[in-house]
This record gives sequence, structure tokens and C-alpha cells, in this order.
Amino acid sequence: MKKTVDVSIPIGPVHPCWKEPIRIKCETAGERVRRAEVELGYMKKGIERIMRGRPWQEVMFLAERVCGICSVIHNMVFIEAMEAISGITVPPRAAYLRVIVNELDRIASHLIANFSYCYTIEHETLAMYLLNVREVVLDNLERITGSRINTAYMIPGGVRFDLSEEDAAALLADLATVEAEMRRYVKMFETGPLIGLRSRGIGILTQEAAIEAHAVGPTARASGIPECDQRLRHPTYRELGFAPVSRTEGDNFARVMVRFDEVFQSIGLIRACIDRLPDGPVRGGGDCGPGEIVYRGEAPRGELAYCIRSDEYGRILDISIRTPSIMNIEACSHYMVRDVTSLADVTSTFISADPCIACTER
Amino acid sequence: MNSIIWYLREFLRVEWLQKFFFAKTAPLVSPQYFKDYPTTTGNECTGCCTCMMICPAPGAIEVLRRRDHWDPVIHKGHCIRCGLCVEVCPEDVLQSGRVLDVQRRDGTSFRSWYHLAVDDALCMRCGNCCVSCPVNRQEDPQLASTGTSSNDEVIMKIEDGRVRVIHEEKCTGCKTCETNCPNSAIRVARMVQGVHTEEKA
Amino acid sequence: MSILQEIKNRVRSKSIHVTFVDVGSCNGCDIEVLACLAPRYDIEQYGIYVHNNPREADVLLVMGAITPQWTDKLRDLWDKIPEPKAAIAVGNCPISGCVFARRHMYIEPPVEKYIPIAAQVPGCPPRPTEILNAILSLAPTLFKDYEEKQR
Repeated sequence: MKKTVDVSIPIGPVHPCWKEPIRIKCETAGERVRRAEVELGYMKKGIERIMRGRPWQEVMFLAERVCGICSVIHNMVFIEAMEAISGITVPPRAAYLRVIVNELDRIASHLIANFSYCYTIEHETLAMYLLNVREVVLDNLERITGSRINTAYMIPGGVRFDLSEEDAAALLADLATVEAEMRRYVKMFETGPLIGLRSRGIGILTQEAAIEAHAVGPTARASGIPECDQRLRHPTYRELGFAPVSRTEGDNFARVMVRFDEVFQSIGLIRACIDRLPDGPVRGGGDCGPGEIVYRGEAPRGELAYCIRSDEYGRILDISIRTPSIMNIEACSHYMVRDVTSLADVTSTFISADPCIACTER
Repeated sequence: MNSIIWYLREFLRVEWLQKFFFAKTAPLVSPQYFKDYPTTTGNECTGCCTCMMICPAPGAIEVLRRRDHWDPVIHKGHCIRCGLCVEVCPEDVLQSGRVLDVQRRDGTSFRSWYHLAVDDALCMRCGNCCVSCPVNRQEDPQLASTGTSSNDEVIMKIEDGRVRVIHEEKCTGCKTCETNCPNSAIRVARMVQGVHTEEKA
Repeated sequence: MSILQEIKNRVRSKSIHVTFVDVGSCNGCDIEVLACLAPRYDIEQYGIYVHNNPREADVLLVMGAITPQWTDKLRDLWDKIPEPKAAIAVGNCPISGCVFARRHMYIEPPVEKYIPIAAQVPGCPPRPTEILNAILSLAPTLFKDYEEKQR
């Protein structure tokens, strides 16, 4: 019998590269990784079970705490699903404010994803630069909503706080500095020779493999599937003329670059929103009613779906959440990590897919 | 050689040495727009407990009865600093960051009320809900043990052999009826709506 | 003896190695601890170094409500940290369970049931400044006269 697997190496659950507990078992032949298996289940909190039978104003906060990094989109998708169930219309000003806050959160999330990638390939300087830019973005998020993470900004029929003139001016000024700094850092990333060695051509996910693995979000867009962006189907984004970015290489470099490009795109979207921001109220009121719906939104990591059944008083009878990371983790373990040349690339490839374990296990 | 001398001179500059040995980042303060733990403004609390009802975190806020006044108490370690209690309070008793100012500027508020729903298929007309209700007891001390009453000011009473809810708006959301119902036929639902009050703005 | 103790106190208050473990949080506290590393707050200027290895650490930051998977593993991890050591609970979750402490939950807060907690940083999530202040205010007193207390 021919021996194909030499040794099975576990990575995690507590590992310097991942901030959250997850275990990857790599079956190796020499230095080459044959197969990888992801072991989940360290973070299961049973959020969906807690949510059942609760009114929306409690579920809103629980939905936010599914994931701390992309908390705004969880809030947004849940609230918009409740609005779609009960037929509440949002004032146009509130709809634009939602997009502004959501895009700020997306920038922060993409920056922390690229920070962890740079940290994993040991380019600590660039990582710290990105973390510093993220602080500026979080300052603006705090100025608008009052808190850095877990903002609780949206409620059925509108948003909680209006955006004043001074805050909008400060936001635009900060966006200019963020854009200028980011141009520099993206140039550093694109031209760095060592970054290229660690990133280009490693962990390739071809377009066919991405479709087979149901990859979503930046991971799929880096493999040349731009249609997977759910923002194309969102009414406010459609008004803004949103067009997704995509790349065709499908390697680690492309995934990180897609995220960098989306940061610039988000900055453009926020500017467009502030330009078009109409006057008017930010809350429309309206009661949450009974119904059942599947609602999708685009989280920073990919497509996020909420399946909700509610009763006539706005209480959640049944809920199930599908978060994007589970697809990307599976795609990573079956397609990207397979046959990488070195064990050191397993961690960087896995991080480049931007896995969020708290989302995945809830 | 030149560069070494240049570096030596550079490193011996007083500014550089000061920067190197005593560099500190900006002082660690929270900006004034941060929603911190709610503090009291000094307005008198009326004990309506709306803040307790809307609070999403278990055990975060309690409205306690002191000798002659009510006192909202925030429990750190439970409070998630969402600021909903600040927004919902009709008397502006609590404040946190600039939530109160922004709320006054925008003229936004939350409206909350309670919805009483009786499932006629489950209800067995025992009248426990009407008897146990503390508001009913205040309105009509002569309420019969079967739940019938001649008074129309009560929240609910038994009429023609079934529970009739008359004054839903008086409900304080204590859920005594729900706990006393043997069949869990009556349910108290809390309804919250974010609204825009034009007259405030 | 006392001079040696003085030196030890001084050194221990100026150089603290911190490690963090995530026992089922929502990631919010994780990235706030990470933000402490950012040049804006710069945790390392105070002599606090964030390690990833519990065997080299003095202070353990515990984040998240305890999930059933972690109930025994957290104790193992705690035993691996060399003396003197202390644990800080970051965020509401290890203190009370935050919004997850409801009926039908899987989690088992608080963390004090499993390891001794020296300090708590409430907030959901706490600001980086609050985390930093907690570690800094704890640092001079935590390991002071450790050897004398042992005797």
C-alpha cells in the first residue's frame, strides 16, 4: 500500500493567527498539504434559540451580537426583513443614512480583514497602518451612532439618530484623509515583492470551484463572479448606481485586493449618499406585523440571509440565519488549501477568505 | 562615515531624544459624543418603568422605590450602552453622551404601549386575570371574585361570559394576568414604535 | 530581601505580558483588544506586550460568555500560565452573560465559576481606552509583594 499522508497536523483552536477558536486538521505529505478539515463548534451560543418568542426590540440587539465585526449589516438585514414583513416604508433620508452607516462598517470590516492578512504574512507595518486608518473610520461611526461597535442604529421605519451638517462635513473631511492614506497603502501592498511572493498564485480558487463550493462575497468576486453581490438587488444601492468590483485571479492577492477596491467603492458610495441626502424625517413609525420572509443582504463577507416568521405583535416565532462565512470556510478547506506548497500558507490562505467564526457558529 | 555622523547628530538632538523617551499617544479620554452609561439629569422620575420595559439586556436597569422618590439604577456589567432608556424616557431623567441633545434636535421618540390579547378558544372564563390585575383593583375595589364589575374604568372585565378588554391603554405591562392565567389564554404584548414628533422640533 | 522585592515590584509593574482567549464572544471585544495595539492607543508604550502564548503571559484577558466547549479547556489554559498570574474579564459576557443570559441559552456564565477573576471591564464592548485603563490601573498593585504574600 502506498502511503499518501505522512502526518496530520492540527492548527488551533488557540493559535496566534486566528483571534477566534477554530481548528484545522491538515493532512500533509512532506511539506505539501493534501487535505484539510475544519472543526467548528467552539463558539456555539444558541442565539437563534434565544431569539424565539422575543419582540423585535430585543432580537435587534441579539442579531447585532451575532457578529461584532459586521454588526451593522446584521441589524440592517433583520430590520429590513421585519419591514418587508409588515409593509413599513422607510423615509428616503433614513434609507440613505442606513447606507452611509453600513458602508462605514464595511470599510472597518474590510480593513480589519486585510489587517489580519498582513499580520499573518508578518508584514506588521502595513497591518498597523491599516489598523490606524480603521480608527478614523470608527471615529466617524461613533460620531453618527454614538458607539464604535454594536451601534444599534436602525429601527423599523427609520434610524435612531439624524446626521447633522457638521457631522456630515467632518465625515467628508475624514473620508478624504482615509482615501489618501489608503492609496498609499494599496500601492505598498501591490508593489511589495515579499507580499507578492506570499500572496500571488497561492490558494487559488478557480471560477468553477467557486461555483461548486458556493463561495460568496469577496472570495467569489476575486474568482470572477461579480453577480454574487446582493447589493445589486437592494433598492437604495440601485439608485446610487452600484456596480460590484471583481477580479479573475482567485488567489490570496486577488481576495485582498478586492477588499481594498471595495473600500474605495464604499467611500464613493458614502460621498454619493451625502450628495443626494434628501431632507425630511428619519423615523416613519409603523407596527411590526405577522408574516414570513427570506431576506438577503450583502455583509462584508458575503451574502447574509435571514429567514423570519413573526406573529401579529412583532414577536419572532421562528428565525434562522445563514451567514456568509460558512460557505467560504468550506470553500477554503476543500479547494483553496488543497495542495498548497507549505504549511505556512494554510493560515494565510484561510485568513485571506476572511472567516468569521462568531458569525458561523452563533 | 558621513552618514554615521549624520545619524549620531540626529540622535543627539534634544527634540529627538524627548520624542524617543517620552513619547505618549493622545490622552485616553472618551469623546463627548460617546454613549456612555446613562447618568441622571436631576429631573424627577415618575416611576413609569418604560426604561425597564424597553431595555434589551436582562437585569441592566432597575427603577427602585426610595423613601419618597423613584430612582433608576444602571447595573454595570449588564448594561450594553444602547441608549434606548435615554430615548424612551418621557421625563428626560437619564442622559448619555449627546443622545438627549440629538433627540431634541431631531424630535424623535419611541412610543410604547401594551396589547392585551385573549384567546377565546383557551379562555375558561375564570376571571383570574381581572381579579389579579393591580390596576383593576385600584379602579374598582368592589370587583367581584368572578371578574364581573359594574365599573367601566377597569382594564378588563367578564361580560356576557367572556373577557372584554375595555381600557387597553391603562395597562402597565406587569404581566400579573399572564402569570395568574391557568390556561395561558391571555398574553401581554409590548408594542414599540419609533416615531417623529413634529411639535418638538 | 526587601530590596530584591522592590526591584521585582518595579519590574513587574513596568512589563506586563498579556494574552487573550476568546471563549465564545461576538468578536466585538476581540477587535477592541486588537485596536489597543493600534498606534492610536499603542498598548506597547506602557510596557504591555500582547502575546499569543499563555505560557509566556502574566495576565489573561477572557472574552466572551463561556460556551460548553470551553468549560474544561479554560481551566487547562489557566493552569498553563506561570505564577504570578491574573485574569481580567473583558466585556459584559464573562461578567453576566450580556444579552445571551436568557432562557434556552447554551452558555454558562459567569467566568468566575471556572477561574479566579482579578478585575472586570464592563461594557458591550468596552472602549480600548477602558481596557487599557483597567490593565494599567491593575498593573502596579496586582503582582506587588507577590513572594511575601505567598509566605
